[in-house]
Amino acid sequence: MKRRSALLPLYIALVVAGCAKEAPTAVAAAEPAKVEPAEAPKAPVEAAADPAISTGKCDEKQAAISQQADQRAQPWGITQHLAKNFPDMKVSWLMKEAPYQNFVVKTGAEKFGRCDDNGCFLFAAPTAVIEAAVQKSMTGEVHDPAALGQALGLPAKNFEGPLRMMTLDLRASEACVRLPVDEDPGVWKCQSEADKDCFVFGGYTSGKVPELMVINAPVAQATVKEIP
Amino acid sequence: MSVDAEEVVLQSPLMYRVLRERGGALILEAVVGGAAMYAVRVRLLPSEAAEFAAQGARFSDRLAREIMANPRLGGRAYDPAD
Repeated sequence: MKRRSALLPLYIALVVAGCAKEAPTAVAAAEPAKVEPAEAPKAPVEAAADPAISTGKCDEKQAAISQQADQRAQPWGITQHLAKNFPDMKVSWLMKEAPYQNFVVKTGAEKFGRCDDNGCFLFAAPTAVIEAAVQKSMTGEVHDPAALGQALGLPAKNFEGPLRMMTLDLRASEACVRLPVDEDPGVWKCQSEADKDCFVFGGYTSGKVPELMVINAPVAQATVKEIP
Repeated sequence: MSVDAEEVVLQSPLMYRVLRERGGALILEAVVGGAAMYAVRVRLLPSEAAEFAAQGARFSDRLAREIMANPRLGGRAYDPAD
């Protein structure tokens, strides 16, 4: 185990720096199994790579979907995505005030997102990205929808009026995360080149903002901030 | 029309609701978007209202998913008065 412990942080550092293009399997290839013949791996390599990076507690179905998504995204994958774009494991998302009231507050929702028999599904972006975009958009007491839209690569119309910014610490909540896939509830299928906020597979929005799918994000563990 | 003049006929965990306007027309309001969410509304056609009356959430789930996948819905969707 000692050799793996020494090399895996280096691999993660390379991923974060954008130098490593191989999937975690490359780590296994670089470290033949003969190094540790007495001990079979008990957990996925990515889980062992950096305890700070975790895909949370995923049920069997979501784990299978995640595995398929990672295969499709090769050499990218959720672990690399988290390490590069979500190093502090904090995610955020925005909602207009009226939908927040009508679909979260009035309903007494316990989980964020669109819920069906398989769970509640929520798109989220790195907190640092959303926070910086919001901060940059503030003009006095209120935000400028055009500036916020520009920063997030989305139409200004999506940000008109008061907003709520939700933040969830994935480490504390242990919510399941994976790359979003075409079949997820809420996926906007791109219809034309003009579409700026439709879904593109791979972990980035059409506006190039990192995103991931959070499953069963608990309302009680999220912080909610008003954006006037 | 103010929200108070509308009756919530169905509130779905899929983040949409079906509303009845004072005049009787049915509207489906769905939350769309990814990490930036907002709502759009679609007024149901008479044929859709009939399907909703017959099938309930089975129909509205289908229509809501259609709206989420294509929020303009061929020009039928409009913004709610927030």
